[in-house]
Amino acid sequence: MKILVPVKRVCDPDNANKVKVSDDGSSVTSDGLEWKPNPFDEYAVEAGLRLNENAPKNEKLGETVVVSFGASDVVQTMRQTLAMGADRGILVQADDAELDSMVVARALKSLVDAEQPDLVLMGKQAVDGDSNAAGQMLAEMLGWPMATFAMNIATDDGGKTLTVGREVDTGVLTLKVTLPAVVTVDLRIVAPDAVSNGVTPADHKYNDGARYASLKGIMQAKKKKIDQKKLGDLGIDTGLTTTYPKFELPPARTGSCEFVETVDELVDKLHNEAKVL
Amino acid sequence: MAEDNPLLSDRHVAFMLHEVLDAQSLCALPYFAEHSRETFDLFVGACAKLSREALLPAYKSMDEEAAHFEDGRVHTHPVMRELYPQMVELGMLTAVRPFDVDGQQMPLTVASSGFAYAMAANLSAFGFCMLTTGAAHLIESFGSETLKRDYMRKMYSGEWTGTMALTEPGAGSSLGDLRTRARPTEQGHYLIDGAKVFISGGDNSLSENIVHLALARIEGAPAGSRGISLFAVPRLRIQDGALVPNDVQAAGTFHKLGWRGIPSIALNFGDGGDCHGYLVGEPHKGLSYMFQMMNEARIHIGLHAVATAAVAYQESLEYARTRPQGRLPGMAADEPPVPIIQHPDVRRMLLRQKAIVEGGLALVLATARYADLSLHAVDDTQRERASAMLELLTPITKTFPSEKGFESNALAVQIHGGYGYTSEYLPEAWLRDQKLNSIHEGTTGIQSMDLLGRKVLKTGGASVTTLADEIEPSLERARSSAHLASHAGALETALARVREVSEQLLGTAMENPMAALSHSVDYLDMLATLVIGWQWLEMATAAQRGLNASPGDADALFYDGKLRAAAYWMRTELPRVAALADLCVSCEDSFSGMDPESF
Repeated sequence: MKILVPVKRVCDPDNANKVKVSDDGSSVTSDGLEWKPNPFDEYAVEAGLRLNENAPKNEKLGETVVVSFGASDVVQTMRQTLAMGADRGILVQADDAELDSMVVARALKSLVDAEQPDLVLMGKQAVDGDSNAAGQMLAEMLGWPMATFAMNIATDDGGKTLTVGREVDTGVLTLKVTLPAVVTVDLRIVAPDAVSNGVTPADHKYNDGARYASLKGIMQAKKKKIDQKKLGDLGIDTGLTTTYPKFELPPARTGSCEFVETVDELVDKLHNEAKVL
Repeated sequence: MAEDNPLLSDRHVAFMLHEVLDAQSLCALPYFAEHSRETFDLFVGACAKLSREALLPAYKSMDEEAAHFEDGRVHTHPVMRELYPQMVELGMLTAVRPFDVDGQQMPLTVASSGFAYAMAANLSAFGFCMLTTGAAHLIESFGSETLKRDYMRKMYSGEWTGTMALTEPGAGSSLGDLRTRARPTEQGHYLIDGAKVFISGGDNSLSENIVHLALARIEGAPAGSRGISLFAVPRLRIQDGALVPNDVQAAGTFHKLGWRGIPSIALNFGDGGDCHGYLVGEPHKGLSYMFQMMNEARIHIGLHAVATAAVAYQESLEYARTRPQGRLPGMAADEPPVPIIQHPDVRRMLLRQKAIVEGGLALVLATARYADLSLHAVDDTQRERASAMLELLTPITKTFPSEKGFESNALAVQIHGGYGYTSEYLPEAWLRDQKLNSIHEGTTGIQSMDLLGRKVLKTGGASVTTLADEIEPSLERARSSAHLASHAGALETALARVREVSEQLLGTAMENPMAALSHSVDYLDMLATLVIGWQWLEMATAAQRGLNASPGDADALFYDGKLRAAAYWMRTELPRVAALADLCVSCEDSFSGMDPESF
């Protein structure tokens, strides 16, 4: 099947403690941070590759296209997913300040209209903004079925439907969705047996996690195409829905620890000192 | 702590490749033309990711549960069966090999940067890759087409592993004394008979077959190192299209101080009189073939040592930033304690680690760059010059990180205090791992004689002149910066003294070679201190350039760190050159003249 995987470039979450807010509080600064693909999107790429390959024979069953938004150097992040095995990329050039979940969803809809994929597979959320919204908005705009927080996916009915296990608070909710559809993935989608495409032998065990970009894959990725488009040329409403009046860091933790004798004392402190009750 | 350890600083690795060494310029050479900054960064990034996510988490259990010998076979840690295919898939075996053996022609400079992460995360796990690719490379360079087809390809593809089978009970540093015999047969193969020890990976439960690249003496060959030949001796040989046992028997494992994830084996060849060996290259040239590989291996040992010191440095740095203990003068007793990094002596230890680790990495990568140029530069003169530098630097690149890295690893234990002395924390394990690096692939003593005897005295001092010529442009660049001129001056003085000493030793060697060599280890120490000073001057120059370009806060702190580490080296280490120089020329005989009974 043809799969479109949106991939957002985010600050390396391992360096989250280095994230700073600009002096006037108007923005989050990225000075000195390294860029990485949003981990949930990387899992979506992995799940897309598993759906579209006959492992371990490495034969492709369909095309996996990655899409990203941002400055032209986002190409580097996209190249990493091409090195994992995605077939080509589309970069929509835009300033981060021009983007929110709604603009991204509208832009994705316009790309879906042009590309006509069978499936849009994406991370459940980006680890920078943690909005968890673009996938749901996109499904609504497209009028397509949607399954969020997917922890396993199986292709059924000769590729016409997917059975998706969704991770919800009460356990796993299994849904059957008819393609074309939007699926957003959770962490466990990269478990060794989380994806079944009906072709890869059932006993084939993938490594736990997203695959690494191999050097061979990196050399091949150089030759793969990344189409560059401009946000303004997509013909969509580019008005922002979300605005951020001010950013501030949570108060620094003192690191001091105090033991209390009784529950009453604890409640009293939480109520009167910490003022959280 | 350990699980978040970044192994090496990504920013520092990028600084080395792109701001100091200009790795991208290598892409102008035809051999590297398929590469670009993008392929470099992606490969190094992939190595870092695999190392952090898979190799480091397996380290502690591989250290604790060493391989064991049972029913005639060696059983390696089961996690290696998962890790090895991932390292192979990533391209770690063949990154630098040519396209025609399914390699990717990556410059060693860049590949080494990626490998450093794997070594920092799990020396033993990566050791299997190193040995296999080293053994396959020997067949690639000198073996017959049949050997390449039957054995090399399966080694490069990761199906089979490989070893270097050199050492014997009576032939360690002195390989000329080895006794393993090879008897020619009419069928073309040789029958091998002998025993080897300390064969890393010599038996394992990781791969179906193991191909030993073994040194042996063909019957009737001359004694000493001129009579040694190289053979491929597989554990299972190919016979009539099937794999059959080849009379190679593991006799047991050694119980080691470190590197516990990769077993060191005693091996017997031909106990049943049926061990086939296949000659690699020409008879009696085995040692020279092996030495080609050994030079490569020595650069890798330097990298092992840097990586092992680097991971411990990162660990102690994080510990020092977060461990509250004690107060600064003037603070009240009821004020909360400060993180120990606030104490001057802890900072001294951390900066010393930084100077050793980053100086060592700079040296290894600079040497790798000379290796790349010596093989692939288009211009003959450039190739020859790079070769001369490679020859001179190799013993230093092997030894400085091994010896000073051990000191740096000890500092990581020290910073952790009492906790550092327990196996609950990893610094003690890295300290144990590090010790091997000054021993294997030629001990420090052997490296020092190689440096002073073969590389300096035998060239009539020409190599030191070449070194001076290479350092001169660095001095020139630094002199033009007000901030660095004093460093350039200090390095210039030290260089002049090293040249003088080398001249004098040439004279001494004519009359009394033993005396000239008696302080060879001090000579190596002196030259290493100088060469690391040169590397710090290069890094300081690049950092100053970065600072002049008005960087953001994070980069400004990063560059400031480089300048301070450079200043530390120039002020506290470089002055040692003069004292070492005096020792070398004095031919002081306190130990060399001592009767064994007087000890």
